Formats: sequence, C-alpha cells, structure tokens
Amino acid sequence: MSDVASYSPRTAAWARRRRSFSDGISRLRKDRVAMIGLVVLVGFVIMALIAPWMSPRGGLSAVDSINNPTWHPPSRDFPLGTDHLGRSVAAQFVWGSRVSLLVGFAATVLTITIGSLVGISAGFFGGWTDAVLMRLTDWFLVIPFLPLAIVLAAVLDRSIWNIILVIGVTSWPSTARLIRAQVLTVKTRLYVDRARALGASRPHIVARHILPNVAPLILASVTLAVPIAILTETTLAFLGLADPTQNSWGKTLEEAFGAGAIGRNAWWYHFPAGLGIVAVVLAFTLFGRGLEEILDPRLREEGARR
Amino acid sequence: MSRRLIGVGLMAGVLFLGTAVPAVSAQGSTPDDGDRVTLTIGLLQDLSSPNVTVGYLVSDFEVWNLQYASLTDKAAADFETVPGLAESWVASGDGLTYTYTLREGLQWSDGEPLTADDVAYTINRSRDEEWANHYSTVQNLDAVAIDDRTVEITSSVPDPKLPTMDVYIVPEHIYADLSVDELASYDGLDGVASGQYSLTSWRSGQDWTMTKNPNWYGRDNGIDQIVYRVFTNGDAMVAALQAGEIDAAHEVPRSALERLQGDANIETISGEQGSFTELAMNGGAGGIGDGHPALQDLVVREAIAHAIDRQVLFDRVALGTGSVGSVMVPSADPVWTPTLAADETFNFDPARANAMLDEAGYLDTDGDGIREMPDGSDPLNFRYVERSESEPAPAIREFVTQWLSDIGIGTEVQVMDDDQLYEASIAGEYDLFVWAWTPFVDPDPQLSYFTCDQLTTNVDEPGNNDANWCDPKYDELYQQQKVELDRDKRIEIVHEMVKYFHDNATYVVLLEDGDPQAYRTDRFEGWLRQPADTGPVLFSNSSPTYANLTAIEGGSGGGGGLSTGALIVIIVAGLVVIGGIALGVTRSRKTADDRE
Repeated sequence: MSDVASYSPRTAAWARRRRSFSDGISRLRKDRVAMIGLVVLVGFVIMALIAPWMSPRGGLSAVDSINNPTWHPPSRDFPLGTDHLGRSVAAQFVWGSRVSLLVGFAATVLTITIGSLVGISAGFFGGWTDAVLMRLTDWFLVIPFLPLAIVLAAVLDRSIWNIILVIGVTSWPSTARLIRAQVLTVKTRLYVDRARALGASRPHIVARHILPNVAPLILASVTLAVPIAILTETTLAFLGLADPTQNSWGKTLEEAFGAGAIGRNAWWYHFPAGLGIVAVVLAFTLFGRGLEEILDPRLREEGARR
Repeated sequence: MSRRLIGVGLMAGVLFLGTAVPAVSAQGSTPDDGDRVTLTIGLLQDLSSPNVTVGYLVSDFEVWNLQYASLTDKAAADFETVPGLAESWVASGDGLTYTYTLREGLQWSDGEPLTADDVAYTINRSRDEEWANHYSTVQNLDAVAIDDRTVEITSSVPDPKLPTMDVYIVPEHIYADLSVDELASYDGLDGVASGQYSLTSWRSGQDWTMTKNPNWYGRDNGIDQIVYRVFTNGDAMVAALQAGEIDAAHEVPRSALERLQGDANIETISGEQGSFTELAMNGGAGGIGDGHPALQDLVVREAIAHAIDRQVLFDRVALGTGSVGSVMVPSADPVWTPTLAADETFNFDPARANAMLDEAGYLDTDGDGIREMPDGSDPLNFRYVERSESEPAPAIREFVTQWLSDIGIGTEVQVMDDDQLYEASIAGEYDLFVWAWTPFVDPDPQLSYFTCDQLTTNVDEPGNNDANWCDPKYDELYQQQKVELDRDKRIEIVHEMVKYFHDNATYVVLLEDGDPQAYRTDRFEGWLRQPADTGPVLFSNSSPTYANLTAIEGGSGGGGGLSTGALIVIIVAGLVVIGGIALGVTRSRKTADDRE
C-alpha cells in the first residue's frame, strides 16, 4: 500500500524518464559507430583540456623557436615537424583543438538558444508571432550563408567572440524550423489539451509539456550543429577573417597555405590540422546521428538499420 | 610621391578559386597568341587607381611608367638621366632655367600631336593643384612653351634635381576638360598614351591589359600587349609561372625561390632598389589623430626599437633576401643612405628596453604583465595594424608582438587592406603599423613625406606623412637639401636628416627588402635589371625592361603540362568546393528531412 501512497504523477514521470534514459543509453552502447564517434570526441576534448601539460605554449611562439630548424619534417624532437618559422606543428595542433572546439561549442550554444527560442515561440503561439518569426527565419535561410558570415566577420573586429557571434547569428534558422515543426505536433497532443482544460498557464504548458518533448530534438541538433560551427570557424580562419592571434586549426591551414607549404610539399604542416577537423566533424556527426536515431522515434526502425 | 610596396592577399580562398582555375586553361600558352604577341606578368597587387593624381601603389607606377613618357628618362644600369620626350636640353648661366627640345613628330597614341603645350600644361597644373605624385618635383617650377618643340622650365630656387624631370606628361586634350573635382574621381582609363603602352582595360582584382602605342618614339619590341594577372596566392602564381602561363612574376614567395631555382627555364632574382619595411610608431608630434599618449614619449619609442631583433627578422622572414633593416632609405641609389655605426643604432637589448621603461615610470602596477602610464592610468596596449595583402606580415607580427610583450607592452592586432591602412595612417589613427616604402632615385620625395607640410589636416587634401611626425629641424634640413646644388654637400645633409629621423625612433626599419622576382628565359629575352646587377627586372624605377625585350621565335614555354604545384593547388581548390557543397548539403538535408 505504501507503494500506492507514494505513487504520484511526478514519480511516475520520473520513473518513465529514467527507464527511457537507460533504454537510450543501452541502445547507444549497441550503436558501435556512434560509440566510435563518442570516443574520438572525448579524446579531442581531453586533448584540448590538457593542452598546457601536453605542449608548452612556448612551442607556438616564433621568438622561442628561433633556434629550431624551419620546414623540418616530423622527427623525434618534432613529432609533427616544424613550420616556416620553426614552430612545432604538434604544438599548433594541440592548442588549435582548443579554439576549434571552444568556437564549435560556444557558437552552437548561441545557435541552439536562438533557434529554440524562435522555434518554440513561433510554434506555440502561432498566428502573427509565427508568421513574423518564420518570415524572418526564411529571410535568414535564403541569404547565402558563407557570404553573410564573411561580410559580418569582415565588418566586426577580429576576435574569437565575434567569430562565435557570426556563426551563431547565421546558423540558427534551420534549428528554428526544426523545433517549430516539433512544437506544432506536440501542441496538438491530447495531454496538452487536457492540461489546458485543467487551466494550466501558457508558461506551465511550455515548461512542463512542450519543452520536455522537444528537448531530445534540441539535443540531437546540438550534436549536428557543432560540426557545422567548427567547419565555419575553419573556413573563416582560412579566409583570414579570424583573430590572427588565436591558434585554431583554420589558422594553421591559412598560414600553411600562405607560407607555401603546399607548393613545398610540406605535408606535415597542413595535414594534421586538416585531419583534426575531419576527425572531430566526423565524430560529432556519427555520434549526433546515433543520438538522433535514439531520441527521434521516427528514425527508430528496429532491425532495419545496419 | 608615395610609392608603397605590397604583398600577398590573405583573402585567398574566395578569390583564389577565381584565379587558380583559369591558371590551367590554355590562356597564353605561347607568347605568340594568334596574331598578337602577349607578355603576361603575374603579381599579387592590384592597382589602386590608374589616375596619375590619385594612385599610390607600386603597381600604379608601373602602369604610368609605361603609359606616360617623361621629359627625361633614366638609364637602366645606373639611373643616369637620359633623353625621354626631350632629345636635348640646355641650362641657363644661373642654373635656374632649363630649355628642353622635344623629339620631332611626337604623337599621342590617339594620333594627336604631342607638343610643348602638353608638357607645360602638366607641370603647371600639377604644381597649382599639388598633385601628390608630382608636387615635390614641380613645387618651385614654372614651365612655358616657347614653340611646339621647345619648353622652358624655370625654378624659383636652385634645384639640384634638374634637369631630371620625374613628371608623367598627361594629354592636355583630355585633361583640360576635367575640373579639379572631376579629376579627383577620374578613372584614368582614357587609354591615351605618350609612352610605350596604354592601359586599355582593368578588371579590379583580376587583371589589367596594356596595349602597344604605335606612336611611341622608342624601340618597337614586337610585343603587342602586356597582361598583368593579379594572383591572390603566391603558390598559385609560382605554379602558373612553372606551367608557362605567365612569363614573369613579381613578389614571388621567398619560400618558393629554392624550388624555382631548379627550373632550367626560369631565372630568379632578388631585386633591390631601396625598398624597406618599417614599424611606424605614432609619435604624435604632428598633432593629428588619436595615437596612444605613451608613444609621444621618445623613451617608449626607443625602448620598442631596442626590443626588436632585426637580424632575426632578416633570417627568419626575409630568408636572406635584401638586407638587415637599419634606417629609412631615401633613394634607390645607396649613396644617399648613411651607414650607422653599431653604437648609433638601436641594438637588440630587451633588458635595456625594460630598464628604460622602468626608469621612465612606466610600471606594471596591477600585475597583469602590461605596463601602465606613469600616473597609473592607460595600460600600454597598442593597436598594431598589419596589411591583409602582405605575405610576410603574419610572420613579422608573430615576432614583433612577442618582443613587445617581453618588455611589458601589449598589442591589439588589427588587419586592414591597403586603402584602409592608407586612410588610417595619414590620419594618425593608429598606434603602430607595419608597411613598406619603395623610394625614387632622387631622395627629395621620400624625405618630403615626413615634413610638416605633408600632414593630413584636411581629409580632402591628403598628405603622405603617415608617421604623424613634424619637426622644425627636420623641415629646415629638408629645405636646405632641396636647394643645395653641390652633390656632396647635399648627400651630407640627407645623411643628417635620415639619422635625425632614425634617432627620433618614429620608424623602426625592420627590413631592407629585396623583391624576389622570377621570369621565364624561353619566351622572351632581354630582361634588364635596374640598377644593373642588383635591381629588379619588373616594377623598377623607370621600367626600362619592356623596351628591351624580344620574343624568342618558337618559344613555347612549359605550355601544356601541368606542374605538380598547379595540380595540388587545383586539388585543394576542388576540396574546398566539395567541402562547401558538403556543408551546403548537410545543412539543406537537415532542414529538409527533419521538417514535419
């Protein structure tokens, strides 16, 4: 009887959530491709976090490298060789992961925040709000993304925060559309109608019924927005629009290109950064797809997959 | 007459696709392209303006050198004054008046006769309207056309530059119709030339074409047109040169020189004509702009000069081209540049720099590694501007910013294109910037830039004084050398000026630049260096190389085959495109299949 006494809608909901969470984890565990993505990701995040211990910052300094050979291929002293100023490419790779991941995550937070706010408001309130917000979204969607980002980056001062801002304000529209669509379906479900009939306020409905139901989708789009943000940061840095004092992988590529590494066949200069970007983006995409399949029931087709 | 030296574009990626892809087309694979013999030159700098009253870049001067003949020309070997439009001249007894006799039958490229009136018109108008590129030459001159072939030029003061006349003679029948305001915004594309070639088309950021002027007085070199192709990446330009799509290249990346030296059909040179790269410090003596107050203190500027290891910049950035920076170079002729003794220069000594700043009261009171003003206010955080078009700029910045940080000075790096930096620099709206000058033969123009007269106090009348420097002693010396007819005495005065300018640490000369150039030897012969043995073949002081070239019969160059370099460049370009498409697809797919 005590079980019955402690039984409430809240505990039931939590029990259900716990169940579906552990269910999701075990599904994810079985998804080997997603797990590979996760492992690679965790590896890069750890590398970014322990960069100061892995490679002293002096390795990035041209002044501290004046006694190093220039254009030196990988060797015991320089595991990834040296660049045109004698700086260690390995140090640039390790430190570059910091900026690339930071920009990737921070820009994604911005993208998802704007996208979710716009998407939920448009979907939930409908009517005029929806029309106005969706036209704005359409407007952002039809502007060619890269030129807009380039123009914004060129107009603003070159700093890492402005790059984050540029990526954030240019890449939210698809998230907004996605979330609006989900809100529209959730909104028409019976329990939302019941809650409304019981007199629940709008904030209550949004917070307790809509948000939990679109949260998985938001999470999935986070994992897919990060690689786009990282690629965009790389592109902008490669075009010389990023903060020139921040070592990112895009900047390494730009410097390698500008210093003539390609013409010299100094592959060790540009390959690590390029492969780093490919690996992180791929890992995010693999993990993100896996997560999306678990969180989005429509993509869940048992046995049909792999 | 400013003459700025420019490097590589960093906006590479975007524009690069535009230049790299045509590089593999069959364009210009032989010098004899159909009926027209074309000389193709690759470079990294666009024109700023073909308008002779407006432009200021080295590339602009190359256009004018070809399009506009001067009364006198300069010998390729040693800059000696030789006949140009004028075939001869005589000086009056007092040395103030020169009478020039023009060649017979001179014509503009459009068939109009070129007479003494055109000459007098150009000189008088550029004096009256103070055309930036002529003014230091014509300031005290008055020209009178005696008859069609005789022009008399009188100077109000003794003028050591005469009889040399560095004035681009422009067609009166075109320019007379342009008012002062119209001239300021004139595009300069009339195509009427008194020189060897006329500019017939200019596609900004891509290329410009100069077409032979059949009416030019000099030697017919048999080359119908010269195409200048603007590259945004040095590697792409080198690949095009190796593939034979261009015949010569200006500002070849230093890292590629070694590779080109292995090519039997390509000659590489490091052309020296007095160019230098400076770190300019806004000393504020000119009283314009918004420079940091600390830089007005000579001690701070001296400390910065002591913090910079110019030998390292020479070894690591210039890769041994040119020479170690020392003082502002006023002329392409080294006789005008003083050699400083070791104890007269700001040697690399960070400990001393730190001690100087400590003593002067610039202490780091809040412990953030950056010094503050003696009264504890403003930290010594300086804006550091570099050019987006410069190939060595990023490497220079890596070194200089750290050296500054080693003496407790912070930097905030800003990247500007040439037009932005030009405007900021002449307005004094900077703390530090890195740019370069290429001087003329006579030291007067380069020295004139730092006189009080050249300060830009009114944006409609820009001057060249980008150092925000104004000093009565310097101005007085400038006026003295301007009228000193004894060459040795004048050299002495110029040396004193250059030393004085150096001692005031307004410019820290980082490098004396050698311009790496490369040309194919299998298509054209007769490439001339100016001055002989050490100078550049292209973009030299009076561009004598073009009249001396001859196409080699049957010279086809590397033509068809693609070099490895070109191939890699294409592959990279392809990857960028594929990456872009993939990005687009990911984005659009996400929106498409996740929508309900």
